Amino acid sequence: MNKNTIGILSLFVLIFGFTWYSNENFVNGYNMTNLVKWSSLYAIMGIGVAFVIITGGIDLSIGSVIGLVASLLALAIKYEWNPTLTVVLLLGLSIVIGLMHGLLITKVKLQPFVVTLCGLLFYRGISRWLTDNQTMQFPGTENLDSFFSGKLLIFGKFALSSPFFFLVVVAIIAAFFLNRTIWGRYLLALGNNEDGARYSGIQTDRLKIAAYVICSFLAGVSGLLFAYELDSVQPAQTGEFYELYAIAAAVLGGCSLRGGQGAIFGVIIAAAVIRLLRNSINLVGISTHLEFSIIGLVILGGVTADELIKRIVAKRRSKQISTSKS
Amino acid sequence: MIKKLTFILTALAVVLVAGCGNNSSNGTNDGDDKAKHKIAYVTNGIDPFWDLCAAGVRQAESELGGVECEIHFPTKGLADQKSIMESLMAKGIAGMAVSPVDADGQTKFLNEIASQTKLITHDADAPKSERLVYIGTDNYKAGRALGRLVKEAIPDGGEVAIFVGRLEQLNARQRRQGVIDELLDRPSQTLGQIKFDEVAKVFKGEKYTIVDTRTDNFVMDAAKSNAEDAITKYENLACMVGLFAYNPPRCLQAIKEAGKLGKIKVCGFDEDDALLQAIKDGHAHGTISQQPWNYGYQSVKVLKSILDGDNSVIPPNKFIDLGYKSVTAKNIDEFWSEKNKMAALGKKKD
Repeated sequence: MNKNTIGILSLFVLIFGFTWYSNENFVNGYNMTNLVKWSSLYAIMGIGVAFVIITGGIDLSIGSVIGLVASLLALAIKYEWNPTLTVVLLLGLSIVIGLMHGLLITKVKLQPFVVTLCGLLFYRGISRWLTDNQTMQFPGTENLDSFFSGKLLIFGKFALSSPFFFLVVVAIIAAFFLNRTIWGRYLLALGNNEDGARYSGIQTDRLKIAAYVICSFLAGVSGLLFAYELDSVQPAQTGEFYELYAIAAAVLGGCSLRGGQGAIFGVIIAAAVIRLLRNSINLVGISTHLEFSIIGLVILGGVTADELIKRIVAKRRSKQISTSKS
Repeated sequence: MIKKLTFILTALAVVLVAGCGNNSSNGTNDGDDKAKHKIAYVTNGIDPFWDLCAAGVRQAESELGGVECEIHFPTKGLADQKSIMESLMAKGIAGMAVSPVDADGQTKFLNEIASQTKLITHDADAPKSERLVYIGTDNYKAGRALGRLVKEAIPDGGEVAIFVGRLEQLNARQRRQGVIDELLDRPSQTLGQIKFDEVAKVFKGEKYTIVDTRTDNFVMDAAKSNAEDAITKYENLACMVGLFAYNPPRCLQAIKEAGKLGKIKVCGFDEDDALLQAIKDGHAHGTISQQPWNYGYQSVKVLKSILDGDNSVIPPNKFIDLGYKSVTAKNIDEFWSEKNKMAALGKKKD
């Protein structure tokens, strides 16, 4: 396991234990089902943005892409388009969005922050305009409904929901890509030192574009999952600020905003920590008004602790090296 | 590569322009715009509730004539609402109906608006401001009516949890207080002098206990997970009360997934289709409707009268109470068809 992941895992265990101690219902099947479901939804977004962050970039448009995909899905259902075809087209659209971001960043050489910030505004506006800013509710569309928001009963009241299975597939592919393929190694190298990577013959532009495509594609997948989970889409609000949760999950999970570092498992646990905090706030009975402050504080605390531990370890190691030399 | 990119961008631009072109061809209808009063209708957010109000506005616009209405849905709360109102003033508007996000805090700003245009409030009042009149429901009374629905739903008493978007809004606080006072059999309070109870407190009455009030800031996934978490935390929860339109459907989703449909009763506010369906199916007990189309319709009607110079529409206490309607399985069909009719009527504009 990645060293960075141990910190976040301990944080998870700590909050988990505290909540369990405060309310024994916390571990019942129904609550665990919900916790796994929401954590999976957040983790999928987090993994997406992790790829971009590893290259040293950022994607602020995730929430708006989620909103756009969800709005278009609701529109398509309203106009009775073929649902399966719509889903395929929407995933295609999110890939095109990622491709545009990647091309603008690598070929036109614009800052990722600017490109994706404009994306954030542009897609949100398009969603509102296309839907006339109306809240859309969609009735059940049989097969797809159970595909995107179905549940598989494991034991008692504990069930695994569709987002979890999506996450498993996404996580395995992502972890394999990042750790076991040459492309993954290149990606990390590119994040560490872009010029160095390019001079050693790595096609950095292609890799960067791929990272943005992965990110937007996973945002598109999340959009479908969120829409089916809530059965209701609000063009101006669905997905709003989700990019910040995704980025928080990625950073908390061990990705450095300076690039070159990343661990898929860490991102998943970090997403779970963010959802666990919300769950915990409700179950312990803290005022919902404090929710954001608590999430902010815990993330800050987690990242600080992680940094300090890393420093101590580094110091010790350098001491060991110097003593072994002498 | 640059060539490819230019091609993609051009193609995208062409598609967009074509889309815009299509849309604008059927929108405008040139008439004697000069003679018409320009009226703005500003909501406090986005919600199906406001869509129905908007339908009423559109209906009044076409039925009454002589007015031209624009409807605005601020998406980001207070700041957004303020900037929308500012730009409306800059544009020049004869009358404005607004549902203030924060009545007390906005008083000064509302007075500024009131000095430049005919200002009325709807849905939520700003009693300290110089608005000409408030059109709405006595939300405290409506809250008490909701409390009576809860009493019908669980006559033997039990634990009740309340869910709401945010409590900064006066109408939300009044509704909540109405529900609490009714369930604890407290004497009725007068609107405008209500003493509000704390948020993080459990209220225990003879039969009913209000265990919690959770807010979600209009975020759908928070609304749903708040309901889920309440089911987890309160094993004996008997009834969930949703104070904003989208709350009861999220409660119902959570109850359904917990396999407790019918066991945990739901009472709500407003007229979301999912809630109406649940009332019909017996999964929810009832709802309090403010018949939102009346809000939109009456706002335009009153503003038009005032602009035409007829101030007799303003009652001495400056409050036009549109009342509320209790909807349960008994009158659901009749109510639902009225809602559908009104929504369709409002849409028929062009």
